[in-house]
Amino acid sequence: MRSRRVRRGIAGVAAGVTLAVGGFAAANASTITGGTKAASAAKRPVDKNAKGVAAVVSAANAFLNTLDSDQQASTVLDFSQANATAWSNLPCGSSCRPGIGFGTLTDDQLASAEHVLKVALGSGKDTGYEHVLQTLEADDVLASAEATSSASDSATAEPTDSATAEPTDSASAEPTASDSAAPTSTATDLPTGAPPSGGPGGGGGPGGFSYGSGSYYLAFLGTPSATGTWQLHFGGHHLAVNITYKDGKVAGASPFFTGVEPTSWTADDGTTYAPLAKFRDGLLKLTGSLSTDQLAKAELSQSFGDVLLGPSQDGKFPETKQGIKVSELSPQQQKLVLAAIHPWVADVDDATAAQLMKTYAKELSETYVAYSGGTGLDTQGDYVRIDGPSVWVEFVCQNGVVFRDQIHYHTVYRDHTRDYGSEFSFS
Amino acid sequence: MTALRNWLTAAFVRLVAGIAIAVPAALLTGASPAAAHPMPHSVVELDVHQTAVNARLELPVGEFAVASGIDLSDATQATLSRRAAAVRAYLGRHIRPATTSGTQWQVTVGALSISRAEQTSTGQYRELVAEAVLTPPAGGDVRRFTFGYDVIVHQVVTHVTLVSVRQDWAAGQVDGEGTTQVGTIRIDTRTMTVPALKVDLGAGSVWRGFLAMVELGGDHILTGTDHLLFLLILLLPAPLAVRGRRWDGLVGSRTALVRIGRITLAFTAGHSVALAASALGRLDVPAWPVEAFIAASILVGAVHAVRPLFPGREAIVAGVFGLGHGLAFSFVLAEMHLSTGQLVTSLLGFNLGIELVQLLLVCLALPALLLLARLRAQPVLRLTGAALTGTAALGWLLDRLGEPNPVARAADGAGTHTTALLAVLAGTAVTAMTWALTARRHPAAEGASELQRVEEDRDDEAASAPVQGA
Repeated sequence: MRSRRVRRGIAGVAAGVTLAVGGFAAANASTITGGTKAASAAKRPVDKNAKGVAAVVSAANAFLNTLDSDQQASTVLDFSQANATAWSNLPCGSSCRPGIGFGTLTDDQLASAEHVLKVALGSGKDTGYEHVLQTLEADDVLASAEATSSASDSATAEPTDSATAEPTDSASAEPTASDSAAPTSTATDLPTGAPPSGGPGGGGGPGGFSYGSGSYYLAFLGTPSATGTWQLHFGGHHLAVNITYKDGKVAGASPFFTGVEPTSWTADDGTTYAPLAKFRDGLLKLTGSLSTDQLAKAELSQSFGDVLLGPSQDGKFPETKQGIKVSELSPQQQKLVLAAIHPWVADVDDATAAQLMKTYAKELSETYVAYSGGTGLDTQGDYVRIDGPSVWVEFVCQNGVVFRDQIHYHTVYRDHTRDYGSEFSFS
Repeated sequence: MTALRNWLTAAFVRLVAGIAIAVPAALLTGASPAAAHPMPHSVVELDVHQTAVNARLELPVGEFAVASGIDLSDATQATLSRRAAAVRAYLGRHIRPATTSGTQWQVTVGALSISRAEQTSTGQYRELVAEAVLTPPAGGDVRRFTFGYDVIVHQVVTHVTLVSVRQDWAAGQVDGEGTTQVGTIRIDTRTMTVPALKVDLGAGSVWRGFLAMVELGGDHILTGTDHLLFLLILLLPAPLAVRGRRWDGLVGSRTALVRIGRITLAFTAGHSVALAASALGRLDVPAWPVEAFIAASILVGAVHAVRPLFPGREAIVAGVFGLGHGLAFSFVLAEMHLSTGQLVTSLLGFNLGIELVQLLLVCLALPALLLLARLRAQPVLRLTGAALTGTAALGWLLDRLGEPNPVARAADGAGTHTTALLAVLAGTAVTAMTWALTARRHPAAEGASELQRVEEDRDDEAASAPVQGA
């Protein structure tokens, strides 16, 4: 009897191990295949001639129609405060944001998803849809730099030096024809700077952090409709787009986080991209117009290593506005304030952007401009803020994470009353 | 068969449940960076003692410079000492713990150092590490207080400090591995002020501290492969007789048991005495000679298992070498910086844990030790064991004398597989006892061939039926 018991014990342990291994293998297999399992799902109405929000709804439905039911289930989620506020500037993939990953989509599905963004976002050059896609491309640049960093320490390619770009003269809120960040003579596609030398740091680090345009996630919080309330929730590293629709109108185009590293790069085809140059230049023109006295009033005593109202800081606007009041500025300078706000607002569709700009213009005299660090926006800690009764814009320079010898940008646009379409109250 | 099937079903259910728990847990752990920072944050780790709290501050040098005006970006340990007074004064102004009724604690900033660090998505950066002692007024509660702290964040308003407890004896947190998050210190952006962190660690007790120390002691001997190996290699030849200058033949079972008991007792006495003397006397013994001595003791034991070096005097040797092992045990206690009251309780608990697990392991090894000595393959097994142990001991010895090597790493690694170790010991014990019982029923059968036959007979339902020799 004794020896039988021993044997049974051994058999049990062996079976347990087999089960454990098999179980994990099965779990992994289901993760891999789960997304592509074909399942029939009800077709949603698509109207190619729709305008305005109806067009966004139609594009969203067209995208959902390309997905199987499992994929739809990870895309259409509850419009809950938890889902809406789940966004981050970090490359934390799906661990910190809901939605379906671009990396899991087929080419057709991806094109359809991008079409949703194209309809929902602004059409101006280097704003809206273009700006968002450039943010994804920047992340591909980071991914390549990470992948080649161990081998390319001595590479000769230089990133374009965006810090030297001059702001353009125009004070108009219209998108300018050409971006002021001058292309450099380099023909290589990648800035090399000084990426971290291998190791587990940076993108491939702990917590499943990873760079690349595949790690961006699209979710519809609530069912897309031209009559109900729902939110387009899209983001990834350095990007969080939150557009809330209510009764066929955009009830809020914020919070909108946009950042970028590297600040500029030259693609294979020789095109230089600098997704936040327009944003930065508007602020540079504004601060550059301030007199010494005005600058003294605008300067903050505190220092900033990041934006103040980043992820999870919803509704926590400072009770006291700091800096110089816009009503103390000249009419020309006041126009520069509006122009500086515009690129962020212009990331939502053009009609909504115009509407929001009207509101912010009306509230301009009660709006404040403040800065910390230098006004060049080219050094770690350089910081500008525009804080009005509604509008809130922050721009900060941070040392690079992948390109360690450069700075990179973090910015956020919020609205004191319209974040998440005023659907939530934050205490 | 039904029992096996039930067991398998239970195991499978447990596995599925485990995955069900582990996956969301992993997601939740991964979710925390959503609120995290791309900029490095500060870390404050608290060691809660009986009458004071030690705080270890890890501060990114860049943010520290902006906030304090003290630039340590090129500081070495040498140049740091020149700025030490300024650094301590700055930290003293911004660390302000108080009792819940508002009476300020005393803060003393001690050792400072510079190191490299990396957090998720920050890349590498330099950090200033500062040790501080926070002392409440006499009789003050170290488990509930208001932690006023605005190092860096008073100026760099986006800076975040994570506060956690690393050691809390009275709450049974003693192993120094892993920390418990207490809270986050960051600016309230509405008021642009830094609220103090309310620290409430709940009730602690001497009993929880004691139990944790028992567990720590047991864990220490179990994962400290070297202590165990020393004892086992010394016990290996215990059932053997000495003829000339070699191990040859057997001594009686009773003699073997007495020897094993004496060696184990002597080892226990040796390390207990040294542990108590070193801990209570708060002796500051350097670690590496002690660790090297332990490696040497194992090497001596291994040689003794090959050729008797000190036959009959194993107990004395175990006692003397035990002193060294006891000193090593005391390092664990010394690291905890316990108050005298907690130290005495800890010493008792820690030693009890060591002895309990050691007793368990010796009992598990006992049947195998006695059995192996009776096998025809005994010399081969003994020499193999001695060779393996000797190799590990040599590896450790070189490692501890400053020559890191793969042998030492592998030997240390073995200590992490405690479950496997216990399973093997338990397995051999059961096998040995089974064999011994079976052998007793068939006095005609002897030697190694009998063991083989028992292995074959396992399939036989009627294992107790007489079996003819092969």
